[in-house]
Amino acid sequence: MKNTFKVLLCVLVLTLTGAASGPAGRKDNAEPPIVHNADADTMRVQGEQSFRANCGRCHAAPQKFPPRVMATVVRHMRVRATITDEDMRLVLFYMTQ
Amino acid sequence: MVLSLLAAFAPTLATAQTEAVEKPVPILSGSAGYFNFVTAGQNLIDTQFNPVLLLPLGERWLVESRGAFEGQFQRPPGGGPYGGPVNKTLDYLQADFIANPYVTITAGRFLTPFGIFNERLYPIWIRSLQPDPLTLPIGTADSDGAMVRGGFPVSSGANMNYAVYASVASVGTTGLESERHAGGRLGFFFPGPRLEVGGSFEKFLQGDRTNAFGFHMGWQPAKVPLNLRAEFARSFQGSGYWVEGAYRLSQAHRWQKQLRRTEVVARAQQFFSGSVGPDQAQALNLPSADAREGDFGVNYFVKDGLKAVASYGRQFGPAGNFNQWTVGIAYRFLIPLGRTGAP
Repeated sequence: MKNTFKVLLCVLVLTLTGAASGPAGRKDNAEPPIVHNADADTMRVQGEQSFRANCGRCHAAPQKFPPRVMATVVRHMRVRATITDEDMRLVLFYMTQ
Repeated sequence: MVLSLLAAFAPTLATAQTEAVEKPVPILSGSAGYFNFVTAGQNLIDTQFNPVLLLPLGERWLVESRGAFEGQFQRPPGGGPYGGPVNKTLDYLQADFIANPYVTITAGRFLTPFGIFNERLYPIWIRSLQPDPLTLPIGTADSDGAMVRGGFPVSSGANMNYAVYASVASVGTTGLESERHAGGRLGFFFPGPRLEVGGSFEKFLQGDRTNAFGFHMGWQPAKVPLNLRAEFARSFQGSGYWVEGAYRLSQAHRWQKQLRRTEVVARAQQFFSGSVGPDQAQALNLPSADAREGDFGVNYFVKDGLKAVASYGRQFGPAGNFNQWTVGIAYRFLIPLGRTGAP
């Protein structure tokens, strides 16, 4: 079992290392993005595409829920369905408009 | 050493992103269902209640849990009133830490990410056919341990997802069974053609220390309301595959109001016995001999979260062939446990 833990620790370190070399200049979510109308339309279209591509892989489209509920649902689905950070943001935007 | 590593990567964690522009609220969700399974002429009344609790903490944490309460009632062989057990199991109870856009760390009891059915398609309100695929028990025993997983784009047209896990506890307590194993899953999703392919591997760290592996795919063509999925799994317990297609009749020109809520499903599957005896195979919920099965079903989506289901299947095996009929209803509920803000 010690070997298993070592392997898991190595994978963890490697993935964190990979993350460190990724795009690091993105803003933290503490600052909500300012979305202009044209941007909002684009995000809505992209959000619908992401929703159909990602969520539609497993289940039919649910109704839209209040934003705070959708924030929880999307966080859950991010873990469960391993959807990407970008897709998650687009789906959340689309489902709360 | 671990602390120094964490300190070294602290800037990464600090720049990590999460989704919450809106503050998430705790949720009680889940599903409930009532089904009649008539297998080889024997009726089984199956009632289920599967609550899911989602508890977001701060911007990066999520505690999630799913329980299963399932009553299975049959008449005794000589006749008489229906009776049977009510099984209570804890499917998962896990804490997720979203470290950054690439890494989520999970600890606790979790669904083993082997293939796609166990993690994503299992809930009764999601699955297209209520009977389990014959190969579902392969590689999907519950895990108690830790997992690292994530999904991120690797090019403009492809996303990669991965999961690496180790289950450190071998538990035999009723309702909390798990086994000692380690493994991983790697998948690629191509959003353009909506195609997903991937593979899974698992090493048992108890008993004969054998291996299991599998492959999965899913395809949803953009212009046709078709959902095509397949899995293959192989282990010392047995091997097999299933292929399933679900077609939503939303493009029908007649009776649109009814047909756009209707889905027709077909599944073909085959199982090949492994190196375990019939009794052990049955204990693992696997067929005790080679088997082939074809299933056809209809789902009617009454409204969001509520669907009526019916299906017919026939299994072919060396001990004989039999039919399996299913009718029932599945419901998904969602209850916010706090203020939800503007609707």
